[in-house]
Amino acid sequence: MSEQIQRPPAEVRYAAELARLRETDDGERPPGWALSLRAARAFVIGDDKLGVSRKFVGDPSLIDRALVTLATSRGLMLVGEPGTAKSLLSELLAAAVSGTSTLTIQGGAATTEDQIKYSWNYALLVAEGPSTRSLVPAPLLHGMAEGRVVRFEEITRCPLEVQDSLLSPLSDRVLALPELTGPESMVFAREGFNIIATANTRDRGVNEMSAALKRRFNFETVFPIADFDTELQLVEAEAAKLLSASGVGVPPRRDVMEVLVTAFRELRDGHNTRGDATDRLSGVMSTAEAVSVAHAVGLRGWFLRREPGTAADLVSCLAGTAAKDSPEDLAKLRRYLEQQPRGRRGGQWQALYEARHELPG
Amino acid sequence: MAVTYLGVRHHSPACARLVADTITAVRPAYVLVEGPADMNGRIGELLLGHELPIAVYTGYRDGRRRHASWAPLCAYSPEWTALTAGREVGAQLRFIDLPAWDPALAGLRNRYADAETRYSAATERLCREFAVDNIDALWDHLFEIAPAEGLAERLDVYFDAVRGETEAGPDDTARERYMAHWVRAAAADAGDRPVVVVTGGFHRPALIRLAQHGDRDWPEVPQPPGDAVVGSYLVPYSFRRLDAFDGYQSGMPSPAYYQQLWESGPVEAAARLTGAVATRLRGRRQPVSTADLIAARVTGQALAALRGHPVPSRVDVLDGLAAALVGEALEVPLPWATRGHLRPGSHPVVVEMVASLSGDLVGVLHPDTPLPPLVHAARRQLADLGLDGSGEIGIDLGDDTDRQRSRLLHRLRVLAVPGVERAAGPGPGQVPLLRERWLLEPSDDRLPALIEAGSYGGDPLDAAAAVLAERIAAAGGDMPVMAALLFDAVLCGAGELAGPLLDELDAAVASAADLGGLGQALGVVLAMWRHDGVFDTAGSVTLGTVVAAATRRALWLIEGVRGGAAPADRARIHAVTGVRDALRHAGGQLGLDLPAALGVADRVAADRDAPADLRGAVFGLGWSLRGSATDAGRAMRGAFTPAGAGDWLAGLFALAREEVLHAEGMVELLDELVGGLGEAQFLIALPALRQAFAWFPPRERHQIAVRVLRARTGGTGPDLLRLDAAPGLVAAGMALDERVDAALRREGLITT
Repeated sequence: MSEQIQRPPAEVRYAAELARLRETDDGERPPGWALSLRAARAFVIGDDKLGVSRKFVGDPSLIDRALVTLATSRGLMLVGEPGTAKSLLSELLAAAVSGTSTLTIQGGAATTEDQIKYSWNYALLVAEGPSTRSLVPAPLLHGMAEGRVVRFEEITRCPLEVQDSLLSPLSDRVLALPELTGPESMVFAREGFNIIATANTRDRGVNEMSAALKRRFNFETVFPIADFDTELQLVEAEAAKLLSASGVGVPPRRDVMEVLVTAFRELRDGHNTRGDATDRLSGVMSTAEAVSVAHAVGLRGWFLRREPGTAADLVSCLAGTAAKDSPEDLAKLRRYLEQQPRGRRGGQWQALYEARHELPG
Repeated sequence: MAVTYLGVRHHSPACARLVADTITAVRPAYVLVEGPADMNGRIGELLLGHELPIAVYTGYRDGRRRHASWAPLCAYSPEWTALTAGREVGAQLRFIDLPAWDPALAGLRNRYADAETRYSAATERLCREFAVDNIDALWDHLFEIAPAEGLAERLDVYFDAVRGETEAGPDDTARERYMAHWVRAAAADAGDRPVVVVTGGFHRPALIRLAQHGDRDWPEVPQPPGDAVVGSYLVPYSFRRLDAFDGYQSGMPSPAYYQQLWESGPVEAAARLTGAVATRLRGRRQPVSTADLIAARVTGQALAALRGHPVPSRVDVLDGLAAALVGEALEVPLPWATRGHLRPGSHPVVVEMVASLSGDLVGVLHPDTPLPPLVHAARRQLADLGLDGSGEIGIDLGDDTDRQRSRLLHRLRVLAVPGVERAAGPGPGQVPLLRERWLLEPSDDRLPALIEAGSYGGDPLDAAAAVLAERIAAAGGDMPVMAALLFDAVLCGAGELAGPLLDELDAAVASAADLGGLGQALGVVLAMWRHDGVFDTAGSVTLGTVVAAATRRALWLIEGVRGGAAPADRARIHAVTGVRDALRHAGGQLGLDLPAALGVADRVAADRDAPADLRGAVFGLGWSLRGSATDAGRAMRGAFTPAGAGDWLAGLFALAREEVLHAEGMVELLDELVGGLGEAQFLIALPALRQAFAWFPPRERHQIAVRVLRARTGGTGPDLLRLDAAPGLVAAGMALDERVDAALRREGLITT
């Protein structure tokens, strides 16, 4: 089945690895967990001996803290800039801990309590009245009843009152179904239930979380990849995959990728490799964006000239991704291209400088 | 002969304990310690009974370079326990490394930095293997927290893996060759009695190899070159400074935690750490509830279990605290995950946590310790220059002797020696004063202050230079502070920085964010660089570096200024003037990039989003640097809006006053444009126009008036400017105007 699915969930993609880990796992499992903490960690950060791939590039201590949090009575809140692989991490953690990553609530302005807790099959409700048969459980009810991890993506995109519906499931670990009577009117969370929420720091202030809810989460900030070589490798590998899928016959050029990743890091961090303070773009300069720019650069080079993309293609592609529709960012980008590449060593930097006029607008 | 090689990490409690235990058990004839061999005659001084931490400071100066370095020792330094345990068992104690001034150590400010971080590939692989963030966490994991059994073997395996096939650099190789020579000599001399060698673990594998073959006579202690001034002596040290080294100069972080670990073990250290953090945070009125502390403790213990630690390690405790106490997104990563200094933007809770790890213990030297040479040097120099008395002293900076006196006093002022105060004298960017007044008064605090300052250098000049270098590095991009510090350096006669300090200075300027402040500093520094006979700063390399860096930075900042109609900003305009002067007077010598500057000028001049004054100024910059401007007339017409004209002209006139005056038809064009403004528009433009024309001195304003009159009337001019009415009549008229104004103001019809 998975062959026809565009993107199977983590537990399907890595089913073999999970099975291997379960077999060799001799650590103690927290109640309700599919793996021990150590095996879950190995699933995320990789283990060469067991043939488990490294799926998340970042500080191992972050994974340690995240897993320990999930084993305690607090929820896990992953925060960070867009494109720092928060959702991927939450998917991996859920797959490792519960064996399923599909109990997912996508936060948004239109998210309602129904989509979080439960709703009704109205035909049955009218016909039979409220009963477990007419009840349609949403991810939270599923997760509590089955003792699994529930993922809540982009929680700060939801209105405050909707967010706060998590308060009692998180603190009392119980969900009331007032429509039902008897023992069925209360669903107590089974061991293994917890919540992984993700939030975007760019959304801060859109729907500020209440202090009460904040207190029930441990916050973990996910940062962009700190190491240049790691990021370069990742961008190069991902871009090569995308390019070959798009029918491009040549891999991306290493020197162009270096310029691209360096430029992305400098525009993201607000200082250049020499350490001088420069501009930080307000647009998202994540690794994911870098991959998509690298992809676009390769496409331009191949389909326009039958060669790998060059720094000149990079200039044309940068405007669309980096600056989007912000004139300030475009001005910052122009200043960067005018002043930073000049005098740097390397042919592609010079090419970038020569092509600076290609920046539209 | 039996030589026991103990490869240690400097400042590691586990290694310190191992060293002490080994020496007590082996009772060697010789204990050889990685340390400056030129201190061998003075090991007794080290063992007088000081309160740690202390350091062996070495200062070096010759015609080519100046170098200062420290070999810090604290209670849990393996080198320290080697010395004390060695003395207990009656062993001969020897330092066996090259002296700190030797060129092989020229790049090191901290002798006991981790050598292995200079060769990071192997440690990175190990960290990945053990799934830890960095070498500090790895170290705790393998050695500090792990049980003591088998520690020596684990250390050997670890350092063999770290050293592996790594080819050490020439500096480390030279040191290893020298240390091995000592080992051979000591082993030969000891005969069949044992010898213990305590060195950084990175050097151990090489030492074992090198000690096999070669001379067995005692090695010579290298002598400094004849023209060099060298001094090594003990100074008090502090946990703050022990923790402050960064990058590859750093050793183990968090001295207060490891001191606790050394004294009472990991369990107690973890508990104290939690307590200290909670106390500190509550002291700062940050909420730390009991529930938080329980959560932190549980998380810390769970992390320890997950990571396979029998008791929580430093990072386990910190991670637990961070998970429980930080309830929002972080701006920068946790410092114990990344290593190095706290970065700006660190979460306040994290800042407090790091501070409580660092501690504030300060060492005290035993009273019998020879005073640092700085004390003697300062006293002698004060006496030589007749400054050992008290009272007010006037100094004429034009006089050679007086200038020497001024420099000495400034050095002491920079070192914060009490009783030396300047009442008046020149400052940065002020009218150059050539006289200073000083107030001297004797103080009991002078001696302690000098002893403390002695850790910066053996001579007031060296010490002041070191202090200023430290402050310059700390000033970051704050340009007014930076300019003041550079001026202090000049006053001290310590204006020249060298090597990495120049790079730091360059980097600090490159992070300046305020164009006005940068321009002001650029002006001051450029003036000193071009011509300063009094302080001998003309052509100084240090100031040249600042000029070059500031010019580059100013060009970057100029292109980033955005903003609509705001009054002309003089500081900003001055910054452009500074860039112009730097390019014109120092461009060739300092290799400044003129085409880049012209590029910035052209782009900003044509940028509608840039403020009018800046556009005018950079247009003037291009005009003045090129000596001509294409289409100056069109640019002026383009910029001539009632709201912006004055500001644009203010910028232009500040940069290219003469060019405007001498260009054909410019004054006439201006007249035409001003004449074309309607009454109301003119009133809007007037204040800024007045400000713009204030850049012209009266004589040039007169010239403009003459040209305008000639163009309008064909007359010769000056006559028309004169009134033929009687002065009394004019005075009466002005009085009438004033009364009318007063009446209008009273009725609220005008407001000025």
